[in-house]
Amino acid sequence: MSALPRGAAQLAFDGAGLVAGTTPGRGFMVDARCLQGEPVRGAYAHVCALADADASLEFDQPEVQQVRRDALAWWIPLLGDALISITTLALDEARYGGAITVTREPVDWDDDPFARIFPGTLLRSDLFCVVPPPAGPVIERYGGVAWPGGSFAT
Amino acid sequence: MKLEPGSAFPDLDLPDHTGRERRLSELAAGDPVALVFSRGWWCPKEQRHLRELTALQDEFEVAYTRIVVVSIDAPEVQAAFRAGLGARFTFLSDAERRWLPRLGLLEESDTLHEPYRPTAFTLHPDLAVHRAYDGYWYWGRPTSEDLRQDMRAISRAVREDFRT
Repeated sequence: MSALPRGAAQLAFDGAGLVAGTTPGRGFMVDARCLQGEPVRGAYAHVCALADADASLEFDQPEVQQVRRDALAWWIPLLGDALISITTLALDEARYGGAITVTREPVDWDDDPFARIFPGTLLRSDLFCVVPPPAGPVIERYGGVAWPGGSFAT
Repeated sequence: MKLEPGSAFPDLDLPDHTGRERRLSELAAGDPVALVFSRGWWCPKEQRHLRELTALQDEFEVAYTRIVVVSIDAPEVQAAFRAGLGARFTFLSDAERRWLPRLGLLEESDTLHEPYRPTAFTLHPDLAVHRAYDGYWYWGRPTSEDLRQDMRAISRAVREDFRT
């Protein structure tokens, strides 16, 4: 993984647990805002990713674009006040490794659109803070930062 | 309040269609914005105009530009209307008429709903007004082509590497 773009942070996932940093397991870039505030203790993190290093798609593939549209259209509204934060998982500027939806309480994870690409693993986590959900309709990434993070604001 | 090209649009603070408090500057997030004031879900003109905006969102989603709609509908009504449209942009609810009188955008001919006068503004990322539209008469509203032209002009002005 090359130098982190502005607005990115790193998380590692080994298939059973999430930690800040790049190990143990597989390192991903996330929207840094999810980790920069006061963490919500005991949050529910639905990690739709695999620890297998080969499990990736390009962000620009239609199915990866569509899950971001679905997140904006109905997944985030469906979560309502339960939502803490949401981030995709980037492997580099082009490749998608998954997504994490973090909530205050259990929700119907079968509805998670990101699980259509990589299956979900439900964890309890103390890492994530509250981030306002993306406003839409933008689904593109800003300077290679994992959606919905980043900005061109100076 | 003057809402004309070159003036600073107020940083609206209103609940969105899920009930979360949002600020307009937060929704802009450094991008150009098409800000649309709409009467409400019941009006056939608004339904038609928002269907056109929803069709245009496929371009906005890849162009680092935003669409924000403000109406006096309650958040839960906006959420249903938004879902029916298939919209993926944010609706802001001014059901309490928090900003309507301050903006001077009351549609005085509708004493039943006391809605916003249909208006639209294209904004720079810092919320400076690029162009204003009065859509009381339907043909005063921005067409998709008007919005494309405005987003192009603003993007050209604010994106340093935008080449003509």
